Amino acid sequence: MNMDLSLERLLFNLNTLAELGEEITSPKDFNKVVKSSLYMVMGSFSASKGLIFQFDQDGRCFHPIASKGLGDINGVGIKISPEAVKELIKNNKPIDLKSNEHPVPLLGAARGEFEKLGSRIVAGLIVKDELLGLIAVGDKFTGEDYSVYDLQLLSVMAQHISFSLHSHSLLMKLMHKFTENKGLYDNLRRIYYDTIHAFAAAIDAKDAYTRGHSHRVSAYSAVLAREMGWDKDAMEGIRIAGLLHDIGKIAVDKTIINKASPLTTMECRELNSHPVVGYEILSKIKFPWKGIPMMTRNHHEKVDGSGYPDRLKRQEIPMGARIMALTDAFDAMTTDRPYRPRLSFREAIGEIKDNFGKQFDPEAVGPFINVIRKEVLGEVDSPTIVPLLQEQLDSITIHRMLDGFPEAII
Amino acid sequence: MGKNRNYREAGDSVILYPENYINDIEGEKLEDMCDIFLARGFKKIIIDFSETDLINSIGVSIMIGIIEKIKDKKGLILFSGLKKVNHDIFSIVGLTKHIPVFSTEKEALDVVSCEDRLPM
Repeated sequence: MNMDLSLERLLFNLNTLAELGEEITSPKDFNKVVKSSLYMVMGSFSASKGLIFQFDQDGRCFHPIASKGLGDINGVGIKISPEAVKELIKNNKPIDLKSNEHPVPLLGAARGEFEKLGSRIVAGLIVKDELLGLIAVGDKFTGEDYSVYDLQLLSVMAQHISFSLHSHSLLMKLMHKFTENKGLYDNLRRIYYDTIHAFAAAIDAKDAYTRGHSHRVSAYSAVLAREMGWDKDAMEGIRIAGLLHDIGKIAVDKTIINKASPLTTMECRELNSHPVVGYEILSKIKFPWKGIPMMTRNHHEKVDGSGYPDRLKRQEIPMGARIMALTDAFDAMTTDRPYRPRLSFREAIGEIKDNFGKQFDPEAVGPFINVIRKEVLGEVDSPTIVPLLQEQLDSITIHRMLDGFPEAII
Repeated sequence: MGKNRNYREAGDSVILYPENYINDIEGEKLEDMCDIFLARGFKKIIIDFSETDLINSIGVSIMIGIIEKIKDKKGLILFSGLKKVNHDIFSIVGLTKHIPVFSTEKEALDVVSCEDRLPM
């Protein structure tokens, strides 16, 4: 080999090392990185066969993760003894399987397995005294023998590939932990939701007429919040607030809740205490969503300041409470109550129209009507409000119901 | 592949035209193409690199894969149109000692049409 070619070989190898460094730090799929790395090593030595194995610490077994020139090697696994693992780590340099130098004899039956796969030189992929894998290359295509320089180059390349395996192994451990934690979190979340739903069912069970009321207020409020552009997290918050908004009724006598005749002043006071009782219960809970206790406290406020318990005016009332004031009243109107039969949809909308800007916030009424209109006209994939109503709606009814509302809100 | 064509059949030979770059595992497409022609019975394969600007160690590995497959089928492989930089790389890794290299595709074709003139 003349000097020019030696220099060129050196440059070629340096270039390959640079490319290998780039490859192992690239965000490409791990399998592609390993495959490219193997090809780079094989190309550098003109080897026609090669493999990269990953080492399974528990089973003390090498499994191929990339190969070339060997056909189908699925299912191959090469076991080695704990002593051989220790010696590979201690040795930490490429081993020529044709020699009988230490630690080749220690590989035992594994040596024959590697040779069967056309391996000539093997190098452990080791990081911080941990055997992560092994790279094996076959004889050179040219028939030349491996030089000391080749083995040194392979050693450097093996170190590069080791880092890639190490990063991947750390990532896999993290992913495993993440999956485990996500499973635990999902379980907790499910228990959390189940508990809230159980609460909602307990609230509604106090009143035969209001069965499903909390679920409907929850669903209507979430859909309305979405229509108003709330983000997913805030929507989830109002969905939970809807389920719990009447929790204070747990403290109200059942006979008052179910009374068909007009309530006395005392009874009325007791019933009207439920938003504050609810607030006191819920404010002791650390919810992952903001504003649930206040939405509960203020869902009977009116924008003109005539509601209860705090007689707040429009902007003073949290937006979530203004939404729930509307959806709560809408559901109360469109379902039977002990003291009156349900109103028709048209009558309920008429009530909303009459109390527009007094009891109900125009900022919520406009999107509410809009979302119902979209559902009736089939403009949404999964309608929420219309299927829960006890009557069929058509486009003519919807068109009529818009009469009388200020144009600006629709 | 270069020249907007992947290959050209010429009698019992086929000429393959690789991409501008054979420097990543996408280059295996060339190996796949070789498999197809070998399966179709072609045993004389010329790879013309006149449009190929860069071959790296991955490309070398792919070339060796191709050469091995052709050798297994007792076929014949020739290279043509190698730019100096690529010729140097093939020399460094020892391929030029084992594979006949011609300046042009035509020269390679002339030679395969008269196999006994091959230098190997």
